[in-house]
Amino acid sequence: MAEVKYLSEHYLKPEYRSLDGYKKHGGYEMLAKALKMEPQKIIDEVKASGLRGRGGAGFSTGMKWGFLPNNGEPRYLLCNADESEPGTFKDRVMMEKAPHQLIEGMLIAAFAVKSHKAYIYIRGEYMGPAAILEQAITEAKAAGLIGKNILGSGFDCDLDLYLGAGAYICGEETGLISSLEGYKGQPKLKPPFPAVQGYLKKPTIVNNVETLAAVVNIIRDGGQGYRKYGTEKSAGTKLFSISGNVNKPGTYEVPLGYKMIDLINIECGGLKPGRKLKAVVPGGSSAPVLTAEEAERATLDYECLAGMGSMLGSGAIIVIDDSNCMVDVLSTITHFYHHESCGQCTPCREGTGWIEKIIHSIIHGHAKPGDVDMLLKIADNMKGRTICALSDAAALPVLSFVTKFRDEFEYFIKEKKSKVRGGQIYAQLHH
Amino acid sequence: MHSSTTNVPMVKIQVNGQEVEVKEGSTIIEAFYQNKIDIAHYCWHPGLSVAGVCRLCMVEIEGNPRLQIACNTTVTPGMKVSNVSEKVKDAVKWGLDFHLINHPLDCPICDQAGECGLQDQYMKYGRNDSKMGEAKVKKHKVVDLGPRVVLDSERCILCSRCVRFCDEVPKTSELGIFNRGDRAEVGTFDGKPLTNKYSTNVVDICPVGALTSRDFRFRQRVWFLKDKETICTGCSTGCNVKAYYNKEGVFRVKPVYNAAVNGHWMCDDGRDVYKFVNRENRLIDAKIVSGGKTEHMQPMELAKRLGATLKVRASVALVLTGSHSVEEYEAIVSYFKNDVGTTQIYHWINNPDMIDSFDGILIRGDKNPNTKGLIEVLAKNGISTQWKSLTDAIGTGAVKTVVVAGPENQALFPDMKVKISELSKAAKLVWMTAGKNSELESLAGDVALLPLKTYVEKPGTFVNHAGLRQKTQAVTSIVPGALSLAEAVQLFRGEDLLAKQTPEGDKPNEIGKGRVDNEFTLTRGVW
Repeated sequence: MAEVKYLSEHYLKPEYRSLDGYKKHGGYEMLAKALKMEPQKIIDEVKASGLRGRGGAGFSTGMKWGFLPNNGEPRYLLCNADESEPGTFKDRVMMEKAPHQLIEGMLIAAFAVKSHKAYIYIRGEYMGPAAILEQAITEAKAAGLIGKNILGSGFDCDLDLYLGAGAYICGEETGLISSLEGYKGQPKLKPPFPAVQGYLKKPTIVNNVETLAAVVNIIRDGGQGYRKYGTEKSAGTKLFSISGNVNKPGTYEVPLGYKMIDLINIECGGLKPGRKLKAVVPGGSSAPVLTAEEAERATLDYECLAGMGSMLGSGAIIVIDDSNCMVDVLSTITHFYHHESCGQCTPCREGTGWIEKIIHSIIHGHAKPGDVDMLLKIADNMKGRTICALSDAAALPVLSFVTKFRDEFEYFIKEKKSKVRGGQIYAQLHH
Repeated sequence: MHSSTTNVPMVKIQVNGQEVEVKEGSTIIEAFYQNKIDIAHYCWHPGLSVAGVCRLCMVEIEGNPRLQIACNTTVTPGMKVSNVSEKVKDAVKWGLDFHLINHPLDCPICDQAGECGLQDQYMKYGRNDSKMGEAKVKKHKVVDLGPRVVLDSERCILCSRCVRFCDEVPKTSELGIFNRGDRAEVGTFDGKPLTNKYSTNVVDICPVGALTSRDFRFRQRVWFLKDKETICTGCSTGCNVKAYYNKEGVFRVKPVYNAAVNGHWMCDDGRDVYKFVNRENRLIDAKIVSGGKTEHMQPMELAKRLGATLKVRASVALVLTGSHSVEEYEAIVSYFKNDVGTTQIYHWINNPDMIDSFDGILIRGDKNPNTKGLIEVLAKNGISTQWKSLTDAIGTGAVKTVVVAGPENQALFPDMKVKISELSKAAKLVWMTAGKNSELESLAGDVALLPLKTYVEKPGTFVNHAGLRQKTQAVTSIVPGALSLAEAVQLFRGEDLLAKQTPEGDKPNEIGKGRVDNEFTLTRGVW
C-alpha cells in the first residue's frame, strides 16, 4: 500500500481552508455526531482506534484522556502546534491546508474530556499558519461552532490561538504550559503530571495537531474503522515530513508500517543520480540515526524503529546521502540543542554546550584523540538525568552518530579534515 | 520541625541498608536529612519549594531501573533507597563535573571559599581532574543586584535558590533567571533592584560564591572565624543567629534554624546589629566628671565608688531599656528597690508609635530584644511608673540622681538625643551603656559613664514578643573591662566579682576549631 489520502483527503483543494469549503466536504458533521454521543463513548472509540500521540512520544491518546481526574475541576485542552523538532513540518501543512479539521478535532476532544476552554499553542515562527488559523477560528466563532451551546447541544467550549515566541522547549508539554501561563518557557517538574495539575494548576490534556485532527476520522469511521490502516500496535496513517537528499522532499501521508525505503525511493523519487544512501534520521533530529542498511529494513511504525534503538518521533525523516560528512551533520544538530536548552537542569545546560565545543574542536582541527570517547561519556551522562527529554534529545544523536560513524570522527581528528567531499565541510564555513 | 511534633503517620523505609522512619508524604531527601545521612544536593533547600534542577540528589530505588532525584520522589512504605551504589556515585560525580566545567575555580579570591557547597561536595563526591579542555563560558562579574548583594554570574550554578527565596519568602520576586542554556544568568528586572528587607538570606543559601554580601565580602577568610549561637537583639522577634567572630571582633551574623522563632531566615536589619558590638563603636572609658574635673579609672573601680554614693534614698531614679537580659533586670531592680530603697524605676520606650507593628514575616516594630522580660520583672517587683513623672521629678528636684542602664544598641533609639537632654537636667547623672556617644561623653555637669558589655559578651535570658524565653551564651569578649548590669550591681554592693573567667575570645584563635560547617556535608555540620 502506498501513499494514502486519509487525513489529507482534501488538502489539495484550496476552498478546504474556508469554513464553507470545509463544510462542502462534510466538515463539522462529525462534531455534530460526536455531540450526540456520550463523552465516555468517544474516549472508548479513541482507545479502540489505537491512536498514538503524533507529536513524538507516541503515547496512547485514549489512555491520556482517561487520566483526567473526575473531581469536577475545570480542565483544559491544549493543542501543541509548536512543531519545533528539526525536520518536522507536517503540522504546518495540516494547519495551512485544513485549519477547520484541527478545530473540529479539538472541539470533539474537548467535549470528550469535558473541557470548556481550549487553546492552540503555535510556535512564533508560524506566523502564516497562525493567520490562517486565526481566520478559521473567527469564522467558526461567527458560525456558532465555538462558544456557547455549540450546534444546539448545550455544550460550551471556547477556543483561542496563542502565538509563542519560538522555542524548541515550548513543544515539551509542560514547557508549553509554562509559556501559555505567561512564564518563561521551561518544563515543570513531574509529578504532578499535566493531567492532574497542568495549565493554571488544573487538569490539562496536551495533544499534537495531527492527533487531534485524526479524532475527526475516528468519529467518522469508528475506532475499529480507523484501524483499516496501519499495524496492530501502530494503527492508522501518519504524515511524514521528508527532507534532505531526496528528489521530491515534502509531506506524505502513508499508513504506519510502510517501508521507509519505499517512501524514499517511490514517493520521494529517490536520491540524486550517482548518490548512495548513507544514513537516515527517522523521527526528527533527536531520533537516533539509522545506517543505510538499517534504513533498508525499517518500517515506519513505533515498534520497528524502537526495535532498532531509534524512534518514529514526529515523523520527520531526514535523508542523508554519501556526499555528507557525519561530523558536519552532527555539528548542526548539536548547535541546535546547545542553543535550545532551557538551562534549568545542569546536565543538559552544561552538557549541550560542552558537546558543541568538542565538535567545534574537531571541525577546527584541535581535538584530542580521546574526544570521541568523551563525547560518548558526556552524552551517556546527560541521558535520563533531567526534568524533560531535551537532554536525551541532545544526547541520542551524539551517541548514535559517534557509535555508527565513528571512523569519520576519528579520521577528522587525526587528519584534521573530513573524510568526504575533499575534506571541506559546511560547518567550517559557518562557524 | 521533625517527626515527633505532629500526629502524621510515620513510614519506615530503608536508606543505604539502614531502616529509618519519616513522616508519610515526605520526600526521600527529607528522609536523608532528618536522619543526618549525607546526600549530594544544591538546589534543594528545606525552607523552599522543590526545583529539581541540579540533578545531584540521585538515588537508586529498588525495582526502578532509572535513577530518581530524591527531592521530588515521595517515600512509600518499605521503599529501599541507596545513594552509595556505584551507579549513583558515578552519576553524582558526573553531576558535579557538569557543575564545574564552566565554574571559574577562582577559590583563592572567592569569598565563599571554606564554606562553599562546590568545594565541600567536590571533596566528598568528586575529587577528579577537570575533563574539559575547551574554553569556559564568560558571564557578568561584580553585578550589583541591590544595596546588599553582589553577583558573580560565572560562579553561579543556577540552582535557583535565590530566585525561589524572593518568590516565596518576602514574595517580592526581584530575581529571575534570564536567557537560556549555558548563557542563563540570575538578574534583576530593569529599575527593580534586590531591595527587600530579607535580601541577604540569598547570600546564605547560595551554595557557591555567586552571591556575596557587600557588608562581609573581602573582610575576613571564613576559616579565620569561629562561630557561636546567640540571638539577634535587633527587635522583639529574637531570631536565632550564629555570630562569626575572631579576636578582632564580630564580622557577621547568619540565621540559625528555629521553627518556633525565625524558621531559616533573618532580616537585613538584623544583619547590621553586630556592628555596634565592635570596639570602634564602644564606650571604652569609665570616667567621672565632677566640678569641672574629669577622672578616668577602671570600670570596676568606678562601679565600687558609685555604689558608695548611690544610697541617697528617694532622690535616686533608675531608667531601664528593653536591651538587657532578665537576669540583669532582676539584679538591678532588686538592688534599687531593696538596697537603694527607691521604686522610681522607669521604662524608656524607644519607639512607642510602632511598637506593635509587624511585617508579617519577622520584623517587629518593638526594636528591643527583651521588652517582655523587663515588663515582667517590673511587674514582679510591683513597679509601675510613667515617664512624665520622671521628667517632672527632675524638674522639681525631687529626683537628684538619675541612673540610666542602656540602651545597648543606640542605633535603635531614635530619641537618644532627646533623652540625653531631658535626663542631663538632673543634678547627678550616671549613665551605663555599651556604645560610645559623643554627646554623653561631652556632658559638662556631674556625670559618670560606665561601659557595659553587649549581648555577645555575657550569658542571659531574653523573652521575645511571644513570651518565648531564650537563653544565650557569651560569644566572645570585645571590651575587656566592660561590665554586665549584674556585675555592676555586685560591685555597687561592694562585693567582689567572682574569679573572672576568661571568655573564649581572649584565647588565641584556634583556627577552624568548633566551626559548624554549611549544610552540604552533614558529617561536619547540621542544617
